[in-house]
Amino acid sequence: MAEQQGPPPNPLFLERMGRLQTAIHCGTPDRVPISLVMDTFACNVMGVKYSEFCADLDVSGQTILGALEKLGDVDSVQWASYAPAILGMVWLSPMKLPGRDLPEDALWQLDEQVRIQPEDYDRIVQMGWGPWFGQYIGRYLGEAAAAGAAMQEKAPRWVGEFMGRGTVVFSAGTVDHPYEHLCGGRTIQEFTMDLFTRPDKVEAAMQAIMAEKREQTRQMIRAIGPFGYWIGSWRTAPQFLSPKLWDRFVWPYMKELVEIVAEEGAIPMLHYDACWDREIERLLELPARTCVLATDGQTDLFRAKKILGGHMCLMGDVPPAMLTLGSVDEVKAYCDRLLTEVGPDGYIMAMGCAMPPNAKFENVKAMVDSVQGR
Amino acid sequence: MTPSALAQAVGDLQMDEAASLVKERLDAGDEALAVLAELQGGMSIVGDRFEAGEYYLSELIFAGEIFKRASAPLQDAIAAAAGSAVGTIVLGTVKNDIHEFGKNIAGTVLSSNGIRVIDLGVDVDPKAWVDAINESGATLVGMSALLTTVFDQMKEAVATIEAAGLRDKVTILIGGGPMTEEAARYVGADHYCETAQDGVVVAKHILGVS
Repeated sequence: MAEQQGPPPNPLFLERMGRLQTAIHCGTPDRVPISLVMDTFACNVMGVKYSEFCADLDVSGQTILGALEKLGDVDSVQWASYAPAILGMVWLSPMKLPGRDLPEDALWQLDEQVRIQPEDYDRIVQMGWGPWFGQYIGRYLGEAAAAGAAMQEKAPRWVGEFMGRGTVVFSAGTVDHPYEHLCGGRTIQEFTMDLFTRPDKVEAAMQAIMAEKREQTRQMIRAIGPFGYWIGSWRTAPQFLSPKLWDRFVWPYMKELVEIVAEEGAIPMLHYDACWDREIERLLELPARTCVLATDGQTDLFRAKKILGGHMCLMGDVPPAMLTLGSVDEVKAYCDRLLTEVGPDGYIMAMGCAMPPNAKFENVKAMVDSVQGR
Repeated sequence: MTPSALAQAVGDLQMDEAASLVKERLDAGDEALAVLAELQGGMSIVGDRFEAGEYYLSELIFAGEIFKRASAPLQDAIAAAAGSAVGTIVLGTVKNDIHEFGKNIAGTVLSSNGIRVIDLGVDVDPKAWVDAINESGATLVGMSALLTTVFDQMKEAVATIEAAGLRDKVTILIGGGPMTEEAARYVGADHYCETAQDGVVVAKHILGVS
């Protein structure tokens, strides 16, 4: 996070960056920092159609910036602008987008179908990940690749816009687990079956992916800079897999990817959805005082603090249902508990996962304001 | 009671073993319904192990497929058993949400536990719930969603069932990623099910079967 692109940092940016850096290294800042992920919530705040947000990165950047300014003193956002079509590159599936495939006010959704066939495991091993993936992109993911290229082109300008206003843009890219790729292209049902019926084929393909991903990850970080990098866990959460499967197909790759990002001097942002309670102790195996664990409300973050405190910065986890259905008093009470029990050292206030589109503005504002003086 | 070899094979996730035992039993002239009951007994073992934390969603998915494949030769028996199912549930993903995985795994474990499933698919219009309840006589409704944005659609579906005068005749279960007890109260459902297996436990309890 040390070298953001754009104009020279202003004092407010430096103050907020210092606050975040202290928290990430498990120290106690002058107050607890806050970092948000906003997309469709920002649309609703600013009166922007989801379809317009999805179609134009400048619209998305302007929308997020506008919503941020309405919320007040926010140290950081995870992303300055966003093109949802790019999610196709994580789960190897095209996205259904509002205004085109879905109503204008509908949330984008993954169009998950069986696109990877069982014989593709062998093909990935034989061809290598890059050539196989290149073919696959040509067949299914042209739009996702174009969204990725557009983000590469336009995101730096928006990072600069935020930085100029004193806001730290935390994330520069994603480092995706091979499991998420294959599971998305194969579907959860079929991929889970493969774990039982052809585990060696799956493992060989995952190793072939990793063989290239190691160097690709290093090169990406060296090219973009040592920002935060999302290493997400969605389908790989321990909640979904038995320990035997998880130990074989998830953790070794996850651990190595985190170590690579850390070795390159960047911050591994462990964006872990679903419940990680069963394996939370395993995170002690990851580099100390370098990672940020961001959970979505399903992992017991209070217990996680007892186990990981001093080893890893924690972030989150005001639950989506509370932000959408709860009252301001409920949000305040939950935030107070987070600040007291998970903070103030090594902690970043945040929503669980990303801001729900229909979160009540007053609830989000209560969460933002909760860190003042804490 | 000691489970049969077939039930144990399903419970132990032995796919080939389960399929060959079904064939053996049918070749020996055993009643298809009796064989089906043993397969369902195997799914009960799976459910017990899930609740005990020994099995996870991965094992539920695999077990569901084992059941589906092993019971393939029993389709006539399954059709006959539909008339004697312990109960019927209308299942679907609510309007404006196209996620089907959670709904599908719930349907698999419910049906393999002897509950007839009327699957309405995804993006289900509120009125479709009413039509399906009327046509099937279901006493259970299972609504699934993955998006917080469809809480209101789920609430509308419940209200539509109520407006049709059916609310007192059905128990409404909800489940899916963002769902909580609070969401259940908001939409007017009766039970929040954290997992597909929770749905089986709740449904069986409501239907009065063990």
